[in-house]
Amino acid sequence: MTTLGKIFGPGTRHAVPLIVFLLIGFAAPLLAVIGFSFIPARTFELWQSWSLDNYIEIFNSTSYLSFLWSLGLAAITVLILAIICYPIAYGLARVFGKYSTLVTLLFTIPLFVSENVRLYGWVLFFIKNGVLLGTLKAWFGIEPDSWLFTSGIIVFGMVYVYLPFMLFPMTLGVSMVPDQTRDAAFDLGATRWQVFKEVELPLSMPGIMIGFLLSFVLAVGAIAEAKVLGGQQIIPISHDIEIAFTYAQNWPLGAALAVLLMLVVGTLVLFVLRRFDLDAILGRR
Amino acid sequence: MNGRSPILQLHNLTKTFGSFTAVKGISLDISEGEFFTIVGPSGSGKTTLLRMLTGMESATSGDILLRGARINDLPANKRPTCMVFQSLALFPHRTVGQNIEFSQKIKGVEPAKRKARALQLMAQLRLPENYYDKSVTKCSGGERQRVALARALAYDPDILFFDEPLSAIDYKLRKTLEKELKDIHRETGKTFIYITHSLEEAMVMSDRIGVMRSGQLVQVGSPQQIYSSPGTKFVSEFIGDVNVIGVRATATTGVHAAEFGVDFVTQPVPAGFGEGHLVVRPESLRFLGSRSEAQNCLEGRVYNEYVLGSRIQYQVRVGEHVFIVEKLRQQAFAGSLDDQVLIGWDAKDSILVTD
Amino acid sequence: MNSFKQSRRNFMQNSALMAAAFATTGVAGLRQAFADRSKELNILCWEGYNSAQVLDPFRESSGATVKAESLTNDPTMINRLRAGETNVWDLINVNNPWARKIMFPEKLIRPLDRAAMEPYFAKMAPDFKPPYKWAMDDSGEQLIGMAQRYGPYSFVVNTDKVSRATAEDQGWDLWNDPKNDKKYGILESDDWNVFNLCCIAGFDPFREHTPEEVTKFTETAKRVFKGAKVVGDIATMNQALVSGEIDFHMTGGTYSASPARADGAANIRAITPNKGPMEGGKGGISWIEITSVVNNPDVSPLAVQFLQYVQDPKVAHTVAFAEGTFNPVAQMGNPECFSLFTKEELDAIQYDSLEEEMARSVEYDIVPDYDKLLDIMTAAKREASGG
Repeated sequence: MTTLGKIFGPGTRHAVPLIVFLLIGFAAPLLAVIGFSFIPARTFELWQSWSLDNYIEIFNSTSYLSFLWSLGLAAITVLILAIICYPIAYGLARVFGKYSTLVTLLFTIPLFVSENVRLYGWVLFFIKNGVLLGTLKAWFGIEPDSWLFTSGIIVFGMVYVYLPFMLFPMTLGVSMVPDQTRDAAFDLGATRWQVFKEVELPLSMPGIMIGFLLSFVLAVGAIAEAKVLGGQQIIPISHDIEIAFTYAQNWPLGAALAVLLMLVVGTLVLFVLRRFDLDAILGRR
Repeated sequence: MNGRSPILQLHNLTKTFGSFTAVKGISLDISEGEFFTIVGPSGSGKTTLLRMLTGMESATSGDILLRGARINDLPANKRPTCMVFQSLALFPHRTVGQNIEFSQKIKGVEPAKRKARALQLMAQLRLPENYYDKSVTKCSGGERQRVALARALAYDPDILFFDEPLSAIDYKLRKTLEKELKDIHRETGKTFIYITHSLEEAMVMSDRIGVMRSGQLVQVGSPQQIYSSPGTKFVSEFIGDVNVIGVRATATTGVHAAEFGVDFVTQPVPAGFGEGHLVVRPESLRFLGSRSEAQNCLEGRVYNEYVLGSRIQYQVRVGEHVFIVEKLRQQAFAGSLDDQVLIGWDAKDSILVTD
Repeated sequence: MNSFKQSRRNFMQNSALMAAAFATTGVAGLRQAFADRSKELNILCWEGYNSAQVLDPFRESSGATVKAESLTNDPTMINRLRAGETNVWDLINVNNPWARKIMFPEKLIRPLDRAAMEPYFAKMAPDFKPPYKWAMDDSGEQLIGMAQRYGPYSFVVNTDKVSRATAEDQGWDLWNDPKNDKKYGILESDDWNVFNLCCIAGFDPFREHTPEEVTKFTETAKRVFKGAKVVGDIATMNQALVSGEIDFHMTGGTYSASPARADGAANIRAITPNKGPMEGGKGGISWIEITSVVNNPDVSPLAVQFLQYVQDPKVAHTVAFAEGTFNPVAQMGNPECFSLFTKEELDAIQYDSLEEEMARSVEYDIVPDYDKLLDIMTAAKREASGG
């Protein structure tokens, strides 16, 4: 047996390829991004004098606007998703029965089509003289203002795109509530609302939280909805980062923005996870 | 229990699911303060019956009367009854105290008052006081049983239902809890309606037992009645190991067993009894020195023996028919396997049942 | 363009080597530096040259493996050569000033055989008569690239909403008229957007700008982005114009409007203003693509062959109408090539007014303080969010 073998157990040794793969594929790019955020603006050499200039530049700029837009849009999206998805998730887990598979498929199949293609489809639907407004005009003679290229339509697009990411964890959460526990609460005198508030909601919370976090993290990084449906009427932070990395050829600035975004989202996620300890909810502690 | 007014009356209660009839026209009166157990194998409709009684399932036809008032359409959360579930259905995200106080919190009872009630129940059920803030998921199986019972008692129900809550518990603990439950029944004086597939469990606790088969109550009686006078082969077999012989009535106290080509003396044959079964309990059978030692006798061969703690069971084969003979250890059979033996029993131990 | 520092070169060189080593680029590969290149050709270009219509006949006749990568941004393409990809690419196709002002001085491209290639210029439209400025180096001695696609590129209107005459008259002031708020779009094309914002602000983009001008630029950028109904790509602009979401859009020309016109939307028209702040009072900007041979140490012999191949009248016509966008080509000066264009095709590329529009346009050039103006514009775009 080699020295390495003596130091590490068989488990560790077998995990080595995976660890190396993760280090190269996951940690290295992340570290590169962090490293780049400290080098002088518009340069491309990692090993030079590091400074916080890019961060100072960001704090002196209006980048916070993009952060606020991204966080705000994501928050609204998640809230709307929660309201829309809970009844559907409840139906999928408890009501639709054999039709659940069909409904699940209906929500899954669009995922096989590229997000951009689907969003362009909505452009054709909402555009002036398009499917919706054209039909309204032809059949009813009414010509409301187009909703395209507004912040409302961006939220619509985000809700549409991220719906499965809220729905499926939520469905899992709702289906985790045992029937007998629900019955027991009812039997102990709880009303339908009290059963929901006292038993169903807390017990399906793990799934709901995962849905919240998943759709929020994805929504904060959303870019296509604002570009395609919103006609860039709003510049989310991911678009700012994209501009820095492409047109502006200012990788360090883009990297610093990306690091800040990771920090902001990471902090929020950690805060939420602390606040709603999943283990505690499940009674594992 | 006699002479008390009925708290729960069922009139021709029926439940169908599509073309399947789960409960067929059950009529039954349960007295105030009674411990009534419904026994039946799985699929006999006992759980469906219970769900109708609790209000979680609606009856297809028939009536459920609680102290004379029809409660068919009253939902579970409006009925003054409460159930202890098979899975216990404790709220895993709540502490022991919160579980017990649930129904009172729902009613809006003030915290101090409901905590006092919870602690009182915990004391009654021998749950340590410091368990009040313990997560229920950290409790042992027996403790969880007690929490579930306390939670149901805190609701202060007129009737407490039990859906096989002890089925998943190991034998020793189950035996302890059965007795505890019977004690609690005595202490509270409430009406308990219990369902189980174990007649043994029912015997320990119940005032009366109803045996269910295929959606119907086939026999209702005290444990003693069920034990000593099972009405049907099904009930008799449900009690445990019994010896069953197909017979035909030939006299007022005699039957003919075609299988052995002999007649047996029995208790008086019920009127109208034609073809049926003769049931003899294993402990009623004994080894004979000579044929004259018992009213009924068969000759067979000792095939095997099983030691069951204080008792020993013997498998005796008469032709192809297997008989079980049970003796106390002190009265063990002196011979060895494959000995030819005479087994016999008296008329008073000959129970006649129909199909 | 102070951004092109030694450091960037080193970094990009390294990353290119890494990329090549992992063979992930699909085009690159270390082995190419040592292999026989006679049967392969790599082209870095704007879209069109990478189309099967253009490449397949050449692949067939030469039996070579031809790979083409299309980008829609000149500096990005040039940065890739600077990063060391000169040993990957054989041909580079960018807008006019880059070959003469940047790539040749930086030795990223190599000169062509003047005697062999100049006769092609003689057959082109009159503006391209040799020696053609953008195809020559500063000294005027060396031929450094070949011309083909070109066109005016200022803005596009829906003539049902704004007549051609009004648009040409008003020019960039269309964006200074508050009445037009939310009636226009902006075609996202960052360098061109910067040019156009300078024009709207009333000064020439292609020179250093005074602090006053920069302030004016900042104000203009904020206002123009705030007033935009939509910012997006060519398809979005054409769709928005055709559907009536917008009446006109900034940055655009035959290159962007031709797909809509070819689809029958004759009311979508590229406009070159009659007057403007640029040299000689011109109001329009035009582009001319120059394709050059990369200074590849192991350049493919097919590079020059390909340059000659696309000069063929038939191939030139194909290039003009390759997938994506449709554009005039210099070879239309040759009757043999011109006769291949149908009336519809000529209409799609607005051939009727091509000459006068080119005459009213200055040629694409490099903005000395581009980085600064781009940052200002990016911030303006962001600050217009939700407006």
